[in-house]
Amino acid sequence: MTRYAMVIDLNTCVGCNACMAACAMENQTPVWKNKWRTYVHDKEIGSGEDVHRRFFPRLCNHCDNPPCLSVCPTGATYKLDNGIVKVDEALCMGCRACAMACPYDARLEVTHDDVETGREFYGEAYRRSRPSMDKCTFCDHRLEQGLQPACVETCVGSARQFGDLDDPNDPVAQMVARGVARPLMPHLGTRPNVYYIDDLKRRG
Amino acid sequence: MDVTMSYTTQTVWTWWIAVYLYLGGLGAATLVVTFLTDMYLKNHRALVLWGAFSGIAMLSIGSLMLFIHLLDPLAVLHVINPLVLFRQPHSWIAWGTQFIIWMMWWGLFYALPYLVQSERARRVPLLGAVLRLKVMTRLSNRCCLRFHKTIGWLATINGIGVAVYTGLLLQSFPAVALWHNPGVPLLFTVSAFSTALAYLLLLLNLVIKNEEDYYIKVFYERTDTMLIAGELVILFSFFHYMAAGNESAFRSAQLLWQDMGWLIGFIGLGLIVPFLLELKGVIKGWASRLPIVTASVLVLAGGYLLRHYFMYAGVYAHPW
Amino acid sequence: MAWKLPSLNRRAFLKTAGYGGAGLGLLTPIGQLAGKSGPEQTTDADDTSYSICNFCSSLCNLKVTSQTRNGVKRITKLAGNPHSTLNRGKICARGQSGLRQTYDTDRLKTPLIRVEGSKRGEWAFRAASWEEAWQYIDAKAKKAEIQPYEWTMVGGWTSCVFYMSWAVPFAMANAIPNIIASPMQHCVTTGHIGTDMVTGNFNIHDEVLPDYDNAKYILFVANNSSIGAVSTCRMVRFATGRKRGAKVVALDPRRSETAAKADEWLAIRPGTDLDFMLAMLKVMMDEGYYDALFLKQHSNMPFLLYRDSDGEWQPLTDAEGRPRVLSEGSERLYSLPAYSNRNGSDVEGNPVDPALRAPDGFEVDGKPVVTVFQAQLAELEGRTPEWAAKSTGIDAETIRRIAFEFGTTRPAIVDPGWHGARYQNMMMLRRVQAMIQMLTGGIDKKGGWIMSGEFHHKAARMIEAREKGEPAGPPFAALAGMPFAKFVVETFSDGNNFPHGRPGWAWAYSDQERAAGREYVALPVMADTGLKESVEGTLQWNGEPYRTRAVLINAANPVRHYYPDSRWKEILGHPDMELVVAIDVLPADTTLWADVILPNSSYLERDEPALYGNGVNHDLALTTRYAAIDPLYDTEETPDILLRMSNIISGSEYGLLQWVEKLTGLPAEAVKERYAQKRTQMEHGAFSAACREVYFEQTAKRLHTTPEAIDQTLRERGIYQEQDREALLEHAAMPRKLPLPSESGRVEFFAPLFHALRQGGNRLPNFNVLGGHIAAECRPDTPMDMPLAGDEFYFTYGKTPTVSYASTNSNNPVLAAINQFKREIYGGVWIHPDRAEALGIRTGDRLQLRNTATGQQTEGDAYVTRLIRRDALFIHSSFGSENPKLTRAYGFGTATSKLIPYRVEPVVAGFRSQEFTIKVSRLDQVAATDPTRSANVLTPHPSPLPEGEGESVRFANDSIGGVA
Ligand SMILES: Nc1nc2c(c(=O)[nH]1)N[C@H]1C(S)=C(S)[C@@H](COP(=O)(O)OP(=O)(O)OC[C@H]3O[C@@H](n4cnc5c(=O)[nH]c(N)nc54)[C@H](O)[C@@H]3O)O[C@H]1N2
Ligand SMILES: Nc1nc2c(c(=O)[nH]1)N[C@H]1C(S)=C(S)[C@@H](COP(=O)(O)OP(=O)(O)OC[C@H]3O[C@@H](n4cnc5c(=O)[nH]c(N)nc54)[C@H](O)[C@@H]3O)O[C@H]1N2
Ligand code: SF4
Ligand code: SF4
Ligand code: SF4
Ligand code: SF4
Ligand code: SF4
Ligand SMILES: [Mo]
Repeated sequence: MTRYAMVIDLNTCVGCNACMAACAMENQTPVWKNKWRTYVHDKEIGSGEDVHRRFFPRLCNHCDNPPCLSVCPTGATYKLDNGIVKVDEALCMGCRACAMACPYDARLEVTHDDVETGREFYGEAYRRSRPSMDKCTFCDHRLEQGLQPACVETCVGSARQFGDLDDPNDPVAQMVARGVARPLMPHLGTRPNVYYIDDLKRRG
Repeated sequence: MDVTMSYTTQTVWTWWIAVYLYLGGLGAATLVVTFLTDMYLKNHRALVLWGAFSGIAMLSIGSLMLFIHLLDPLAVLHVINPLVLFRQPHSWIAWGTQFIIWMMWWGLFYALPYLVQSERARRVPLLGAVLRLKVMTRLSNRCCLRFHKTIGWLATINGIGVAVYTGLLLQSFPAVALWHNPGVPLLFTVSAFSTALAYLLLLLNLVIKNEEDYYIKVFYERTDTMLIAGELVILFSFFHYMAAGNESAFRSAQLLWQDMGWLIGFIGLGLIVPFLLELKGVIKGWASRLPIVTASVLVLAGGYLLRHYFMYAGVYAHPW
Repeated sequence: MAWKLPSLNRRAFLKTAGYGGAGLGLLTPIGQLAGKSGPEQTTDADDTSYSICNFCSSLCNLKVTSQTRNGVKRITKLAGNPHSTLNRGKICARGQSGLRQTYDTDRLKTPLIRVEGSKRGEWAFRAASWEEAWQYIDAKAKKAEIQPYEWTMVGGWTSCVFYMSWAVPFAMANAIPNIIASPMQHCVTTGHIGTDMVTGNFNIHDEVLPDYDNAKYILFVANNSSIGAVSTCRMVRFATGRKRGAKVVALDPRRSETAAKADEWLAIRPGTDLDFMLAMLKVMMDEGYYDALFLKQHSNMPFLLYRDSDGEWQPLTDAEGRPRVLSEGSERLYSLPAYSNRNGSDVEGNPVDPALRAPDGFEVDGKPVVTVFQAQLAELEGRTPEWAAKSTGIDAETIRRIAFEFGTTRPAIVDPGWHGARYQNMMMLRRVQAMIQMLTGGIDKKGGWIMSGEFHHKAARMIEAREKGEPAGPPFAALAGMPFAKFVVETFSDGNNFPHGRPGWAWAYSDQERAAGREYVALPVMADTGLKESVEGTLQWNGEPYRTRAVLINAANPVRHYYPDSRWKEILGHPDMELVVAIDVLPADTTLWADVILPNSSYLERDEPALYGNGVNHDLALTTRYAAIDPLYDTEETPDILLRMSNIISGSEYGLLQWVEKLTGLPAEAVKERYAQKRTQMEHGAFSAACREVYFEQTAKRLHTTPEAIDQTLRERGIYQEQDREALLEHAAMPRKLPLPSESGRVEFFAPLFHALRQGGNRLPNFNVLGGHIAAECRPDTPMDMPLAGDEFYFTYGKTPTVSYASTNSNNPVLAAINQFKREIYGGVWIHPDRAEALGIRTGDRLQLRNTATGQQTEGDAYVTRLIRRDALFIHSSFGSENPKLTRAYGFGTATSKLIPYRVEPVVAGFRSQEFTIKVSRLDQVAATDPTRSANVLTPHPSPLPEGEGESVRFANDSIGGVA
């Protein structure tokens, strides 16, 4: 079995936003209203003179126990055996319960207007025909072709790494197993599959 | 992960969902109370007709709120199909939608005999024509009347389902402590019935105005007083749960317990004042209808405010 | 609560649905009814082609995916070319968004001619055909009798990097001695020349790529977008180095993207980095933190110097002008070869162990003589960490520790830096950085500075020819390093190279100022100094006026990129300016000031006229662009435009071809023939295509293969790999294997270039032959550590990760959206909370900024942050577009060119773009007192994106503040 996961190393993310742009172009998201499948936040942290700047990329965590899926009334949200949580645009009625349920703010809406703008913006190549909720798919269409997710492929800091938790030789799996890379808000019980390597430890 | 959190409220489900939750709970509870009254307290055609049809109207308006805000209304067909329960048994919206739909059907069936018999209804142009159809009479007599209690109970079960569902729905959003706790379905259910009683008191006091219904009114007032008291107790425990809870809960508490709309509007005017008015009514009685009508209006307004503030005060904690 | 109640998941459901419960089946048609269509429907195959990014001079290799649907071919995705060892399959946000330039609805789609009766700067244009545009230019040039030397060309980095082989021949063929090149005063000459004076390796766009992958210690000085924000080829290496545990230190007054990745952020006072570096150099030399063997063998540190009667340092040479050294432990003088990579044996072949120090009191012919090493140490007298602590604001212990760590960790890298300008001491700063790097011997060595494959290749060939005594060949193809810089200087500074006898006006202006006893620029290489004077008619040459009356701008945006913008508006809008032609892809702010705008096809729509080297890649490789789609609009290629312009200016096309051959070696006859063929087949780009074919053939000959084979490889991989870095370094590592292209072939601490200029009378501290101190002068006669007024700040700026320069890609819809998402950070004026509070300023407040020296004013939005020093303000230098035709960029952010005055340093006219202070006040407070406040200021423009769609998009309206 394959269980996909992403590790994000905050030590080498430079906040370049290449992942945002790559994802938008790959997945034809509604950039015209500033909606993305992934965001990179730019935060000032620390107190007093001990001040740091942290870049914090985020995306759907492809939870093993996804509340967005359990609330979805139509079955539009579904989970693949490899752990990827997806939305079927034909089934989704756009009630947004999934957005309410997601603790990671990972969902965005694509409205009728967006579909129309999308047709203009992405032209003939626009793939969507219905409005629906949208979210990161771990670029499963690329995985099928043996490629990495668009954001991972282009990450200039190699901060984003992608792998298979079920493969003990996969560096991503090892980082997760060793506890170097840890999930966000595990107490919520969502069992996320995006893991982060802390950047403050190194600075001591 | 050492993270720095930011706390934020949502703008995804705003007033229109608050209206949906409110009218859903109110409508369903209205049907339930009406039918139970009709079945076990007093056979009451006017109450059933008024209660059933306004309940159904409320459910429809509430559902319409949800519906018109859908990104793809056409796809609603997927949830209207009852088989959805086999596919999405974990989704409260799926259950809720089915509850609402069936609640409306059972409500209609329960009320149909009364409607068919109603002279006034038969005189309404289009409706009258339908009611005069043979099928209708047959349906009314052979099904509705024959299984009247069964239908009543089916409606009641679905109605309770709807009321509970409005709370369960919020409870299924784990990121927000204010919502994600078992107190919410309880609170919403109590509130649904309290507002339904208030609504029916309004009907009885302003529309139906039948002296014989005095006992019903007293019974409703008493029950409502208890429900409001219950609501206050639940809110009190919410307050403590939130004040000493995790950050999400704590921040919601900050939002709620410093907001005049919540404190004075909902708790003060929506609960305490009507509670006192009804309490006095129960203990000593009132000379005029006005205090109870006032109390009912306040309870109804408070019921909306509860949902409104609940939706807005849910705080997400984001680790970025 | 477990939300996963036992249930069928969707997959399982679909499987069971196959067995057909009628009811379940019901669901499927709904999907169809709802018009379901997913990615599955895309059956058309994707096309892949390869190209080069055009958003910055990092020159990343691209893989372009396009898709044909319903007969329309469309570019759908850009990615890093996975075969590229330069950018390793990665590209930055600008690179990713590049395809949106092609599809930008604001693009220039046809030639545009300014309508009769309008003024420049108004945007009153009519669409025209190419023929109309040519006729218009021709008629205007004839009517106004514009002389060749009255033309000035302005080129951006795009025209430098990709079209230099046409642009410079164009200038020569048409006798135009005037070229201004955007990168020169900002980075290439101001910053790089400093570095290059030590290592000898001048090239047009940066030729050193530090080997961050293998470094153990990395020190960044005044750089950010050249690394983390972002130059992809550097960032990918830096990330690896950091993952491998390199210690990273960054000097920057603010916590930049790069500084955010540092283990130690040293928030240095702006303008004082040189002090830090001098103290570091001193500690390293005093304490022996250097590779003595390397310095003895491969640098001019052991060369002997004496002071002449003027007190000027003079090299001690033998009768033939060859450098002399002492051998360790003896007082015997040895002559070394004038040009060589090693000092190990003298001209007679005797082994020498060159001494880094001459004995105390050593004299030759009665003159005290010391080594360069000693002279440099003497120059550093008093430049202690304690001294530097005062100005830099960084304590002496830290400076000493950094010097120790850097000096004792190998391999260590101090980044050479990229953008220069800012202060008159920037060139010296970069030079001292290079000296520090050379102390460790970290050049062309694992974990050190490594020069590019292309540079090695050229230099090796040049040196080979030199050794054989052969002519070097066409200069563009054959000259590497400082000899190339010299060639450029000699070409444009000498009127004898042109039939009319005039040098470039910049040189004439220097002569005029010098003659008048005023400050002048010694080497105004492709600089703008003197342009204004020549436009206004105050420049004289040989007693005649030297005027500029026509400008041809290609891929440059001086209104935003030069300082101040008002100067360029005056230049371009001057009544005596007869003709302004601009070539661009988008309605940049400068195009507002043109008479004719010629639209170029976008980089994804064009095949290039040549094969190019692979940028700063350590590996030697060739690459080029393949058009992914046909041009969408009526656009033309640069070489074709230049060809046509040649026809207009000098009445001949062939001259251009001949000059191309002379300078680059591309045979004119062959090109002419091919062009005659192509022009019958193609409406646009025929000349470009002809050059490309010949170029492929010529390269094939050199590589002993066929043009088809090169083409095939490039189509399949986008990269034609010639040699990898290991192989190159093995025979061409400089200076260990080959001499550097410096004056002496060695690493030069003593600078022959400045020695020559000093001999010529340039005696300012800027022309120090050694590494020495030059102070930044932000306030007249006031040291940097003197307190500032309560509302006064040092001014700093830097680039944004999502924008190139202040380029039109701020209008790119994807990048513009990201900029909106981060608008406080990217678009704001950074100010420290302690200072902001005292001034009553909060994030989002509209501010007025005023240059205390010149009174220049503009506005900005406050961004209050602890990520900046208290005494400095920072703004991103990418914004402030004023052309409303740039619908997404218009009005966003603050333009640096409204605050920066015209003030240049005396060596190459580098901009002293931070050498002043700024006073800040809240606009509402100024407005209350000063009704004239917003003259020359952009009125804030509503954002093209919906309000409140920001950072936390969904939750934008009600954030309850974070907890630190
Ligand atoms: N405000 C500000 N000024 C700066 C800088 C800064 O960061 N901020 N940086 C300085 C530095 S270091 C440098 S190197 C210079 C660079 O300055 P330039 O080389 O001038 O920079 P660009 O913005 O890339 O190019 C200028 C113009 O080229 C156009 N262009 C883009 N693609 C094409 C094309 O394919 N064909 C043609 N014909 N035109 C095209 C753009 O629309 C733009 O108007 O700027 C310097 N000046
Ligand atoms: N995003 C982006 N990347 C680019 C380019 C681009 O246009 N956009 N252009 C490319 C080109 S041509 C160039 S020249 C390079 C330029 O790349 P860099 O030379 O790295 O230039 P900037 O990004 O402007 O970095 C300047 C940094 O210096 C800091 N600084 C300002 N004043 C001082 C000072 O006095 N002392 C110190 N220590 N620091 C100071 C600023 O805060 C800023 O973080 O970038 C290349 N990469
Ligand atoms: S992160 Fe959110 S959207 Fe993604 S699987 Fe988890 S709950 Fe669902
Ligand atoms: S919006 Fe779509 S995916 Fe989300 S819960 Fe509703 S139906 Fe499911
Ligand atoms: S994995 Fe794909 S869909 Fe998800 S954020 Fe990355 S690029 Fe976007
Ligand atoms: S591409 Fe990588 S380095 Fe750049 S912002 Fe995204 S995660 Fe960070
Ligand atoms: S660093 Fe970015 S903008 Fe520059 S060439 Fe590479 S991909 Fe293009
Ligand atoms: Mo530059």
